[in-house]
Amino acid sequence: MSTDKDHIIKSYDSELSRLTGEIVRMGELSVSQLEAAIDVLDRRDERAAQRVVSNDEAIDQMEQEISHDVVRLLALRAPMAGDLRNIFAALRIAADIERIGDYAANVAKRSIPLSMLAPVGPSGGLAYLAELASESVREVLFAYRDRDAERAYKVWKEDVVLDEAYTGYFRQLLTYMMEDPRNITPCTHLLFMAKNIERIGDHATNIAENIWFQVTGEPLDKQRKKGDLTSSPEMTKLGDKPE
Amino acid sequence: MNNLADAAAAQTANVEGRTTKIKVRDAHFYYNGFHAIKGIGMDIPEKQVTAIIGPSGCGKSTLLRMFNRIYAIYPKQEATGEIVLDGENILDAGYSMNRLRSKVGMVFQKPVPFPMTIFENVAYGIRHHEKLSKADMIIRVEQALRSAALWDEVKDKLKQNALGLSGGQQQRLCIARAIALKPEVLLLDEPTSALDPIATSRIEQLVAELKSEFTIVIVTHNMQQAARCSDQTAFMYMGEMIEFDQTEKIFTKPGKKQTEDYITGRFG
Repeated sequence: MSTDKDHIIKSYDSELSRLTGEIVRMGELSVSQLEAAIDVLDRRDERAAQRVVSNDEAIDQMEQEISHDVVRLLALRAPMAGDLRNIFAALRIAADIERIGDYAANVAKRSIPLSMLAPVGPSGGLAYLAELASESVREVLFAYRDRDAERAYKVWKEDVVLDEAYTGYFRQLLTYMMEDPRNITPCTHLLFMAKNIERIGDHATNIAENIWFQVTGEPLDKQRKKGDLTSSPEMTKLGDKPE
Repeated sequence: MNNLADAAAAQTANVEGRTTKIKVRDAHFYYNGFHAIKGIGMDIPEKQVTAIIGPSGCGKSTLLRMFNRIYAIYPKQEATGEIVLDGENILDAGYSMNRLRSKVGMVFQKPVPFPMTIFENVAYGIRHHEKLSKADMIIRVEQALRSAALWDEVKDKLKQNALGLSGGQQQRLCIARAIALKPEVLLLDEPTSALDPIATSRIEQLVAELKSEFTIVIVTHNMQQAARCSDQTAFMYMGEMIEFDQTEKIFTKPGKKQTEDYITGRFG
């Protein structure tokens, strides 16, 4: 049950909307970090990659501030019902965004050794994954800002697209490695980076689940199709020699 | 009242497997022509704590006062409907007031000890209902004071005037006085609103201990208190019961917008 009325104590409303604003800003920063990580990879810019890595500290800092605000609100406002779910969700969403920031920084970090190696295959694979992940995070932030459970649910459901793209890219990299052992080093880096991006999608779905709970008071317990098949036995057959 | 209307009129707090101690059906209350309680139905489960919350003037204390008919001492007050305690409608004119008072004890907002010794405060009510030997009376008073978690603090000064106790102690003395009669239902009307936080915690702890023996109904302005010490909570507004459900549900995911607005401080 959500409510559109203001609190009798006005400062409570401004504290709650400040919390929402902080989460959205933190989320936007994590998306820019991911986009910057792909950009430095593309340009093979080592110094810019270092900057992306060190920028992650700002996201960590924001998470600390949000945790502090949440503890303060819990202690001083003793929130109930929708307010309680709102504040609880903020804490969990901030933790997810912090992880998204970490993954973006990891991608930037691996772009440094990668820039010293010869390029492998067409360059767009990883950028495509990153584009899908950024879109998910951006969408889920809109859903959070607008308390739109249906929009969050859509993000949650569509994570399968990123999962499938990741499986496809995984397959592609295995092929490059089989073709030429010199590809193994760069492809291993790319595999880790792709996995990091796939995980960003999972954190976007976590955020969607928290929005759903915040708005409806119910857990989002619908079944979702899993698109990441890289751990399935099928994948091991890829390198088998034909008999 | 037929079964269908019965079901429609009553709200239960979704407590499964609990016996209903007080069954309220289509209860109305009028004083000086003012319609204060407007057709309330609810099932209060046995040996549980039921909290009633709501803004001032919503009728929560009035409803509580219907449970022991204390209103009957004032003129121009009328209750209709049914309040069924253990199968009998206590609103029936034929229902013995003496019996009702021994079954339903009440504690008020402001502790009102009698101007007599601590011992006599507890013994006074017992003498009205039972004839006990001196030795039995001593045992009974001690039991009541122990149950009210007051014994250790007063055992050496039972002959002192009760008015010398602190506010929190006085309130626990009033609880001891009420439970000394071995009632089945204990009504608490804002029992801690005049107490400091420590004394409040003691009363809340006491409520938690007493619910294994008594069915407790507590009216409180303090929502945190309802959340802390009740099993189910009823939210009332303007003489009507808006929502009655398990306390956990009321304070995490209330079903009605009015309840949400009230408990989150958006009422206006």
